[in-house]
Amino acid sequence: MEYSIGNIAPIFLCPFFAFVINAFFGKKLPRQGDWLAVLAIFISFIFSLRIFLDFAGSTFATDYYIHKVFNWFDLSAGGQTFKVDMGIYIDNMGAIMLLMVTGVATLIHLFSTWYMHDDPRYGRFFVYVSLFTSAMLGLVLSDNLLSVFIFWELMGFCSYSLIGFYYEKEKAGDASLKAFMTTRVGDVFFLLGIVAIWQLVGSVNFVDIYAAIAEGKFVGQQVLGISLATFAGFCVFMGTIGKSAQFPLQVWLPDAMMGPTPCSALIHAATMVAAGVYLSLRTYPLMVAGELTQFIALIGAITAFGAATIALVQTDLKAVLAFSTISQLGYMVMGVGVGSYNAAFMHLITHAVFKACLFLSAGSIIHSVHEQEMPKLGGLRKKLPYTFIAMMCCTLAIAGVPFFAGFVSKDRILGDALFWGVFAGQSKIWAIVPILGFAGAFLTAFYMFRMMFLTFFGKPRDHHIYDHCHEEHISFNSNVPLLILTVFTLGFWYCGTLTGQSFGKVFGSKTEWFKILVEAPRVERFVGRTREPFSAVDTRVKAELPKAVYEHQTGYVGPAAGDEHGIHKAHLIGAIASIFIAFGGIFLAFLMYIKGSVKPLADTFSGWTTALKNRYYFDDFYVGVVIQKGMIPFNRFLAWFDMGVYDRFAIDGWAKVNRVAFRASRWFDDVVVDAIGVDGTGVAVNLFNLVLRIVQSGKIQFYFVVLILTLASYIWTINL
Amino acid sequence: MNGLLSMILWAPILGMLAVLVIPKGNDNATRWTALVSTAITFALTLVLYANFDQSIPGVQLTETLPWISQFHIFYKLGIDGISLPMTLLNGLLFFLCIMSSWTVEKNLKGYFALLLMLQSTVFGVFFSLDFFLFYVYWEVMLIPMFFLIGVWGGENREYAAVKFFLYTFFGSIVMLVGIIALYYATGKGVDSFDIIAMHGGKFTDMTVHIFGTDFSFERLFFWTMFLGFAIKVPVFPFHTWLPHAHVQAPTAVSVILAGVLLKMGTYGFLRFSFPIFPAASVEYSTIIGVLGLISVIYGALCAMAQDDIKKLIAYSSVSHMGFVMMGMAAMNTQGMNGAVLQMFNHGTSTAMMFLLIGVLYERSHHRWIVRPDGTKGFGGLYTQMPKYSIIFIIGMFASMGLPGLSGFISEALIFLGIYPKFTTMTVLALIGLLLGAAYLLWAFKRMFFGEVNDEVKEYDDMNLREVAYMVPLCICVVVFGIFPSPILNIMKASVGQLVDLLSKY
Repeated sequence: MEYSIGNIAPIFLCPFFAFVINAFFGKKLPRQGDWLAVLAIFISFIFSLRIFLDFAGSTFATDYYIHKVFNWFDLSAGGQTFKVDMGIYIDNMGAIMLLMVTGVATLIHLFSTWYMHDDPRYGRFFVYVSLFTSAMLGLVLSDNLLSVFIFWELMGFCSYSLIGFYYEKEKAGDASLKAFMTTRVGDVFFLLGIVAIWQLVGSVNFVDIYAAIAEGKFVGQQVLGISLATFAGFCVFMGTIGKSAQFPLQVWLPDAMMGPTPCSALIHAATMVAAGVYLSLRTYPLMVAGELTQFIALIGAITAFGAATIALVQTDLKAVLAFSTISQLGYMVMGVGVGSYNAAFMHLITHAVFKACLFLSAGSIIHSVHEQEMPKLGGLRKKLPYTFIAMMCCTLAIAGVPFFAGFVSKDRILGDALFWGVFAGQSKIWAIVPILGFAGAFLTAFYMFRMMFLTFFGKPRDHHIYDHCHEEHISFNSNVPLLILTVFTLGFWYCGTLTGQSFGKVFGSKTEWFKILVEAPRVERFVGRTREPFSAVDTRVKAELPKAVYEHQTGYVGPAAGDEHGIHKAHLIGAIASIFIAFGGIFLAFLMYIKGSVKPLADTFSGWTTALKNRYYFDDFYVGVVIQKGMIPFNRFLAWFDMGVYDRFAIDGWAKVNRVAFRASRWFDDVVVDAIGVDGTGVAVNLFNLVLRIVQSGKIQFYFVVLILTLASYIWTINL
Repeated sequence: MNGLLSMILWAPILGMLAVLVIPKGNDNATRWTALVSTAITFALTLVLYANFDQSIPGVQLTETLPWISQFHIFYKLGIDGISLPMTLLNGLLFFLCIMSSWTVEKNLKGYFALLLMLQSTVFGVFFSLDFFLFYVYWEVMLIPMFFLIGVWGGENREYAAVKFFLYTFFGSIVMLVGIIALYYATGKGVDSFDIIAMHGGKFTDMTVHIFGTDFSFERLFFWTMFLGFAIKVPVFPFHTWLPHAHVQAPTAVSVILAGVLLKMGTYGFLRFSFPIFPAASVEYSTIIGVLGLISVIYGALCAMAQDDIKKLIAYSSVSHMGFVMMGMAAMNTQGMNGAVLQMFNHGTSTAMMFLLIGVLYERSHHRWIVRPDGTKGFGGLYTQMPKYSIIFIIGMFASMGLPGLSGFISEALIFLGIYPKFTTMTVLALIGLLLGAAYLLWAFKRMFFGEVNDEVKEYDDMNLREVAYMVPLCICVVVFGIFPSPILNIMKASVGQLVDLLSKY
């Protein structure tokens, strides 16, 4: 297939134009322009599908990509050169990502036309969502970190606007501020990383960065006393920590649930938060070069486990999903850290599908019962059968039950983590990563089924709410998105083989399409690449190295240096453990919430429960201590110092001193100088006086002239 | 086109005279005259842009007339890539300011006449290539400013006006010492006030004998220039006049002050300090950078503590101009271009913020985010004034440097510039970027979210005139955020020449 700007740019531009048109004329369009937004993203989907089929369908190799570049601006002048290029880079991972983003976004747009239809700001919702989608697609298409950053921040803006969508609520304001500022902490680091890389490489193009790593440009480079690769990698990864809500910047995501539910599904579950993981996958070679993989794995493991524990005690439907999102993102980051590149990306895709579906189902429940506190729900299975089926499939997926998508991807991450932490010959301390991972998987199965049991099973706990629940609304735009997403929660989509004859070999088959298509970028391929101008029409570029087969790369990608046996062993143990753990968690939830034979945790560990309900006091610490007790008083002090002390005493006080000096020197003038005659000192004092007399007389113009003349004569006396 | 610069320079003066001859009481005629005058001036600056040759690094469209021949003082005008963006900004902002001043009641004639006079003097500062002429414009500009703040300002206007005047005047005098020294150093010849002739590091080896000691001419007089410009920027620790002046000044004057006048300080560095004293500039660049960094962080921290939204934006100007100082201190292509671009972008985004505060003030007659008694000054503006809110969001995010809006590109360029030279400072300056988002969004949250206050319920949304003068600025911040090339192409040749010169030292 030939690629020109005409069949790539629409992916990004269609939602963007929908945004522009709806922003200006949305109110005048029929249905406030929602059809335009849906149509635009659907066109993007068609174009993405085309690219995906080309990448996945014809040649089963990792080594193809499209790279087109244009000059954004050029500052070269005189003897100086400096230019900034922008471009499009699509490889297999990008093609899959495009398909996922456009597909999920199309369904969520469609769902929103039902969910939001009573909202007074219906049109505006689509304005923001269209802008968001175009920014997300722009990010996926980006060929360099700078444009990633640009779209990254634009998504942050859309997220900010949508969290604050119900702006009559004070809490929406707090939540949006918190979300923007927390991610901004990560973002400034990210920008610093970009600047640091730019200084060394001369651009922040992925291809250039890979080539620089392959050429060893990062070796021996130091910045502020640490290795440049470590510094830059850490800074870029801080961006991931902020955007993907990883420990310790996870605090914003639960609050972000203030936004409309479809926006939670799109932004805070499927796409934007996953963009952080996508970034760390794109910059994976840098993370390896900077020896950050252990750090990344640890952050991911802590997040995966920590968020899962908090999810245990949540009573709000969306809050459970929010913490489970944080936890699942933690698994992805852990996957990146342990070198499970392929599975981390697969988990990104599968999670996007089932979590979007979970949020939409939750939206469907909220829309029907107008309540999201689980203790007030119960028994909804009969009232909302379709929602129940969709949500159940997704819950099975996220819990890691075999044959569902979550099992395929999460199990692989856990298997790789097990190998990485136990069998790869590292220090035994890193076994903590798989331990936390498996423990988190157990908790995930438990809290997700707790949510299902509390919502759909048992007797209705609040009859008023139950009786007011409408019978399930059946319509195209509310049910079809759920249906399609539910279908894609099945595992075989992701582990089928490319030739399609077998869906079976779940464990370690080398012919699964995902394994073939997605592998960590092998940096040596990118040395000395020429790039196509933006206007060119071309087919995909093929790298020169031999055809890639899924394997861990020696010494570079992950720690699994060719130990096929170890990997297989780890994956087998991991898979068996995962299955037991998933069913164990489900069973425990069953015992607690259906049979009632085990007392809920809250009664047994009340101290711990308090800590969990307070989210381990992170929010209290950041807002209550760092900001309220630290920042604000300090700023108040500084502002008081600036005006009340520095300005008042140093500046105004100096003026007052001069006024006294002026009176003294007038006396001096009249008595001494007139008698003795003008000398240098007298003139100097006079000079002072002139300024000060302005205060007294106000005849500015006159003194202005006098002043210049005085100064001129004064300078004259200096022997130059 | 010959004489174009003079036309731009004197057009506002003609407008001023026209305003002055209109009999008292014809308020609408006065307003329209002023508006037409600034519209013509703005159109002329666009003609200037069309006539400007972007490939020439040096000055162009020069005009020279003898003025005071016995001292070799000339009426010499010219423009290059650094002054043209400022000229365009000046043309645009005054036009919009006249529109925003439609509601001024008090002594309308005097107000518009002074505004037009101010515009002319600002053009004079950016056009002058004769040091004496420059100094005259630099000083005369204080007079309309003094009266505009002192007569049309807020309750504490006299203090603010005198403070503004004295503070900047003090800097000017010290600068004047430098100008006169240069006059003698060049030999009192025909080039002695010619700024361009002084460029290129001619004074590097010169010494000056004062109080019985030999000083390096360049190092000594770099500092006299520095003081004059640094006060104008204003850079920490010379910044305290700015919050006073801004809070007391009427809306239009705040816009001009933040939008154009502050840029005269940084323009001074680029036009005078750096090319005339390149060795000293390179030597002291760390000090410039550190002062810029302190301004960035100190200004942002002080801004966060403000309860008065206008004072908050005033401190944010200190912070943003600190970025300009840092970019200049980097003395490389990225940093320098970033600095000049930031001068332009800060002009548009801060002008937006001050105009918006003016719009709000006309309705509320107060500017408290939080009143001294702890209650909210506003609340629910988002619900009450949707149009206003959207424009406020654009201005606010442009100001904090959201990518896609203009502020980002200049800040990113500045960071790319300073990183190789001052790595640690880059890390610290990023804190300023974080704080920049914090104080604006926090203020926004307190003013715009939540239930509508009873008082706020009385406010109307923006009317057509108010939207009309916000739209051009919105277009500027969005378009130059996506396509910065039109502005960068103007400046890059001139900036490149300056960087080439500095890189030799």
